[in-house]
Amino acid sequence: MFFLSWKQLMARKKQNLLILLGISFGTLLFVSISGVQLGMRRYIANQLLNNTAHILIKGEEKKVKADEVTEAFYPSNFVHWINNPSGLRENVKLENYSGWYSKLNQDSRVLGFSPRMAAHVVLNSGKFSTAVNLVGTIPEKQVKISSIEDYMKEGSFIGLRGSNTIVIGTGVADDLGLKTGQYVNVSSGLKEGPKSFKIAGIFQFGNQQIDRSLAFASLTDVQILTKSPGRVSEIAVALYDIDQAQRLADEWQILTHDKVEDWQEANASFMEMIKIQDFTRYFITISILLVASFGIYNVLSIMINQKKKEIAILRAIGYGPRRILELVLYQGLLLGVSGGILGMILGYLLCKYVESINLNFDIGNVNHLLISYDLSIYVTAFIVAIISSIISSYIPAKAASKMTPMDIIRAE
Amino acid sequence: MIECKNIIKEFGKPAQQILHGISLKIMDGEFVSISGRSGSGKSTLLYLISSLDLPTSGDVFLDGKIVGEMTSDESHHFRNINVGFIFQFHYLLSELSVLDNVLLPARNLNLMNEKRDEAIRILSRLGVGSHIDKYPRELSGGEQQRVAIARALILKPKYIFADEPTGNLDTYNARLVMDILKEVNKLDKTTICLVTHDPRFSAMAEREIYLIDGRIASRSEDIF
Repeated sequence: MFFLSWKQLMARKKQNLLILLGISFGTLLFVSISGVQLGMRRYIANQLLNNTAHILIKGEEKKVKADEVTEAFYPSNFVHWINNPSGLRENVKLENYSGWYSKLNQDSRVLGFSPRMAAHVVLNSGKFSTAVNLVGTIPEKQVKISSIEDYMKEGSFIGLRGSNTIVIGTGVADDLGLKTGQYVNVSSGLKEGPKSFKIAGIFQFGNQQIDRSLAFASLTDVQILTKSPGRVSEIAVALYDIDQAQRLADEWQILTHDKVEDWQEANASFMEMIKIQDFTRYFITISILLVASFGIYNVLSIMINQKKKEIAILRAIGYGPRRILELVLYQGLLLGVSGGILGMILGYLLCKYVESINLNFDIGNVNHLLISYDLSIYVTAFIVAIISSIISSYIPAKAASKMTPMDIIRAE
Repeated sequence: MIECKNIIKEFGKPAQQILHGISLKIMDGEFVSISGRSGSGKSTLLYLISSLDLPTSGDVFLDGKIVGEMTSDESHHFRNINVGFIFQFHYLLSELSVLDNVLLPARNLNLMNEKRDEAIRILSRLGVGSHIDKYPRELSGGEQQRVAIARALILKPKYIFADEPTGNLDTYNARLVMDILKEVNKLDKTTICLVTHDPRFSAMAEREIYLIDGRIASRSEDIF
């Protein structure tokens, strides 16, 4: 029946071209919007993962509680606090770093992990100063779990191996007028005066907020600076399969008082944004394909109405109901397949064009939109185009297959 | 052989009886005409004995099988192999060439390649051999009907059912079509059932089944 379907399609070129363009347009939109959204999403996710990790294990924040203070100091008295006692009981730290160390080393799902100690410090150069979040880490381990080396604009992250060295963002470097190899004073706010750190490198994530507020140093240097030797506030873990992050985090959380957070939980607002983006993308695409589907339905219904006599003769000479159903269904399928393929090609070309536009500002280390060409985008677009065309052609196809030759001949 | 036993056909609500208990036999290789005035039920009878329609009561036997007991697949397969139809209007598929139209019954059995030469031979025999690549709209009415006859003959069917095949043709082409049917009946021993209201063409058949108001009668009884 494919031959007959093809011949009938070719006999109505103008009508079918319009429907084809409708399906192509829906597919094109899905491919191009998904390309831009997923490209930007991957970039933002990379940024977030540089800051956090697939899984972040953090020490619990212990705060002073009024009832505990009352129990400790006035066990037998009724106390009414005018101002409730408050504040942290101690700095955040992991309860059992060595336990985590051996567990993570043995887990085959873990690609790598990096113990970290974060502290809020003030960087000072001459009469200028800026506050940053200084992350103490083991450079070799941090490089293994993140792609930070790719974002180094100057110097190398591994340069942190030397004592009293620091890696800062481009925002900090610009604010303080610093370059690699120069020195910057670092104050932790404790009684001791600032310490001088040599700048081993400058990174640029492309996110101004991060580039102006984050810095890295070696774990030992930060521990010394904050007078907390041996203390680790968090462990950043990278997995072989990022999609297992949530399941593993939940699994580990059961075993510990420390807080185990997967990257999606840690960036809940980002994940909300992703959901809204996905909804918008599917809504637009489905709306357009719905219109195209109505087009297919209308064209095929009109065709069947015009071709009643032909259907009657086909039935009379031995073409059964299933063959008539195939005759109409193949036409819808041909429109869906060709519209889907055309839409994917046009969508790909549009993505390439959008990618070539110079936006005159930096996103990461490039000056154009980041586009995803993930195969799953194209597969999804194609499947949606085909499914919508099958559904919209099945209804008239079924109606045509139910027509008997006598119904048609008598109506004539 | 085609056999009808007391077939009744009703249409509409309230039911209006079109055929009133018709019984008949048409032997293999016969050329039978079914004639009568307009509304006498001749086309209805043709569609019943060709398995396109089912009687309200009574049985139609085709080669010993009761048509009403055939499944949809069986009746379509039977028609595909054993039956050729010629209608008043040619019912050719406008988007197919003459050759592809003739090969339609063969296409349903995946026999296009095997039947291609046969199709060209039949078209030549019917005087339209030079038009195989043309489309129906490029042919005259007579030529279109001859292509429809070629389509009916392509699988050498045992039966040909023709419903007013000359009704839309001029005298020359009508005569030509009748000559072709007679030749097919004579040479290929094909059973032919021809519905016509024209007494001249009806007289060309070996036997005439004359209907008056849904009953078999003789032409002499038709006094009005």
